[in-house]
Amino acid sequence: MLKIDHLTKTFGDKAAVDNLSLHIVPGEIYGFIGHNGAGKSTTLKSAAGIQQFDSGEITIGGISLKNDPIACKRIMAYIPDNPDLYEYMTGIRYLNFIADVFGVDADTRSARIRDYADRFQLTNDLAQPIAAYSHGMKQKLALISAWIHEPKLILMDEPFVGLDPVASHLLKEMMHELCGRGGAIFFSTHVLEVAEKLCDKVAIIKQGRLIRSGTMEEVRGDDSLEEVFLELEAEK
Amino acid sequence: MTRLLIKKQLMEIFKSYFYNAKRGKKRSRGGVIASFVFFAAIMAGLLGGIFTMISSSLCGPLTSAGLGWLYFILMSAAAVLLGAFGSVFNTYSGLYLARDNDLLFSLPIPVAAIMVSRLMTVYLMGLMYSACVLVPAMIVYWVSNGPSFMTVLGGLVTLLDVSLIVLCLSCLLGYVVARISLKLKNKGLLTALITVVFLGGYYFFYFRFSDMIQTLVRNAGTYGEKIKGSARMLYLFGTMGEGNGAAMLLWTLVCAALAAAVWLVLERSFLKIATSTGAVTRTVYREKKVRRKSPASALLARELRHFTSSASYMLNCGLGILLLPAAGIALLWKGESVLAIPARVFGVNGTVMLICAGLCLMGTMIDTAAPSVSLEGKNLWIAQSLPVTPWQVIRAKFHTQLLLGGIPTLAAALCGAAVIARQFSVPAGTLVLFVLLPLLFQALLSAWGLFFGVRMAKTDWTNEIYPIKQSMPVFLSLFGGWAMAFAVGAIYLWQMNRFSLPVYMAIVAAIAAGATAGMLFWLKGEGSRRFMELQ
Repeated sequence: MLKIDHLTKTFGDKAAVDNLSLHIVPGEIYGFIGHNGAGKSTTLKSAAGIQQFDSGEITIGGISLKNDPIACKRIMAYIPDNPDLYEYMTGIRYLNFIADVFGVDADTRSARIRDYADRFQLTNDLAQPIAAYSHGMKQKLALISAWIHEPKLILMDEPFVGLDPVASHLLKEMMHELCGRGGAIFFSTHVLEVAEKLCDKVAIIKQGRLIRSGTMEEVRGDDSLEEVFLELEAEK
Repeated sequence: MTRLLIKKQLMEIFKSYFYNAKRGKKRSRGGVIASFVFFAAIMAGLLGGIFTMISSSLCGPLTSAGLGWLYFILMSAAAVLLGAFGSVFNTYSGLYLARDNDLLFSLPIPVAAIMVSRLMTVYLMGLMYSACVLVPAMIVYWVSNGPSFMTVLGGLVTLLDVSLIVLCLSCLLGYVVARISLKLKNKGLLTALITVVFLGGYYFFYFRFSDMIQTLVRNAGTYGEKIKGSARMLYLFGTMGEGNGAAMLLWTLVCAALAAAVWLVLERSFLKIATSTGAVTRTVYREKKVRRKSPASALLARELRHFTSSASYMLNCGLGILLLPAAGIALLWKGESVLAIPARVFGVNGTVMLICAGLCLMGTMIDTAAPSVSLEGKNLWIAQSLPVTPWQVIRAKFHTQLLLGGIPTLAAALCGAAVIARQFSVPAGTLVLFVLLPLLFQALLSAWGLFFGVRMAKTDWTNEIYPIKQSMPVFLSLFGGWAMAFAVGAIYLWQMNRFSLPVYMAIVAAIAAGATAGMLFWLKGEGSRRFMELQ
């Protein structure tokens, strides 16, 4: 579903991502962990097509992101770490805007909005301007907008930050549902317990380089993910 | 604590004088001095110069008629108007909507200290504008009549009292706007409406000011007696400048009492208003049947919604939307007498071209496209991550200005064409070109604004007023537009004998269309690439 080959992105002299390769297949929840500034967001932004990269190849559903970015974006969704949304719109207008751009027909979008907004207990607030939303409400709205066109791949940067425990639980359910339908999820997190329990596979990035990846069992062995991560971080 | 907060407020106001945001560096000592000299030259030189002239024309006739007090009343009224006008637009946001509200309220600082520091900023703004009127007025009076200790003291007390009145007026207006906006859903539209009404009133007063003053001076004796008899307090206010010590004491006490009353009103509601999100009336969502839009329509609707939601955006980039139809109506109403004068000087063709260039010039007051790319700000990721090409996003911005500018331009041009057809014998083809040219010019302005908007986009602003009002794309779009409109009119008047009017108009139309097409071609290619590289 998502294939990243030899991705390199530099900012000036500094390599934010250095020759990184990853392969995420349909049905997988793939966690991406690393210290602050390790290159997680840069990788996610590059895969989402909102940041140009220097070299390497990214394909989504077999389509090259460089050659046909629009076709790639049609089948995926991206949520950044800080969901800055259009504050001059109400929640429902924002969702309709996203649905219009993705070409979701009126009946389907209504059903999906009803379903997801009810689950996140956001229905009553959909008529409010986004400017009046709390951080958590914005995060929920961003999640609904990502799910509204039923993408095959969702890229998320720290999706659990700002969510209440009920919403976190719901998000995990929705991630499993999407993967159960053959979709895939690639997300970054600092919450190692979440990654450990939720992910099928995990990748650890350090200073732009992928230092370990694979199934959860392969990566952590007999230790906890936290122990492995701290050990790898301590290595020079 | 209060001193510290006032210092912080002043540092915020004068930050740009000490710090070059573009280079991210502190300004040199010379740069700081140059910034302050430039500011002082604008305030003292321009505003002070205007009011020195007005003071000079009023002081002599009034003081020689023994109506020096009326002179001080008139100049104080002008100072109150200018002071209130200068600070009313930022009182509401300055008092209640500061970005550091949460931070300051969370610190162990008395709310009164925060209020004092905010009010001090409003006071200083009012004082600055009032002083631009009253200081020249006082100097002119002292020079004409010879200064004495009491008249100098009286002048200074007048300035102090006027500045307190301005403070009270500004605070009350800010308070009223705050109370209204807390109850209303569309604050942007309300603020824009209030500002337009205020601007309309201001210009109405401004254009009638000289007539009013002349009438007053002609009948100074009669008006003077009336004021003396029926408005004793007002009369006493005027006598302060002449050195009436009792009046100084009385009016200073009145102003202090007024300021104390305003303080009490503000203090009771300050915390509530400053911490309110304004969502008092909660709208509960009711599911409605929606119609699916195409991505292009959705992007256009998004741009229009952004425009109509922001008072700053509407006022700074869309004033022409109101002014163009108003100019069209004015042409229909007074067109014949207005056109008669240039027709005598430039002939029929020159007048037609002048009106056409004038419409192009007014069209520059609609420049929504120029700041629109920078205005994406932190939301840029949405447009970049959606399955739309950057060209679709840019094209929506182009169409937005075309729509917002095209309709009023068409209305004004049709009015102009109707007046020209009624008054002069102009061929139909020329009239068609007369209507077409401002419309093509509007398309050119839109592409021109976007050309700079993409090239010089800055999305890391903290207040949207920066991309809307103070950014280079807007500056170039506006002044470049003026230069082009001026050139369209001036070149024809200069080379009138070499071209027939329809040929000249057709050439300009072709150049405008060609330049627009060229810039759109750039925007579709290189511009789109640059848009995707924006961070």
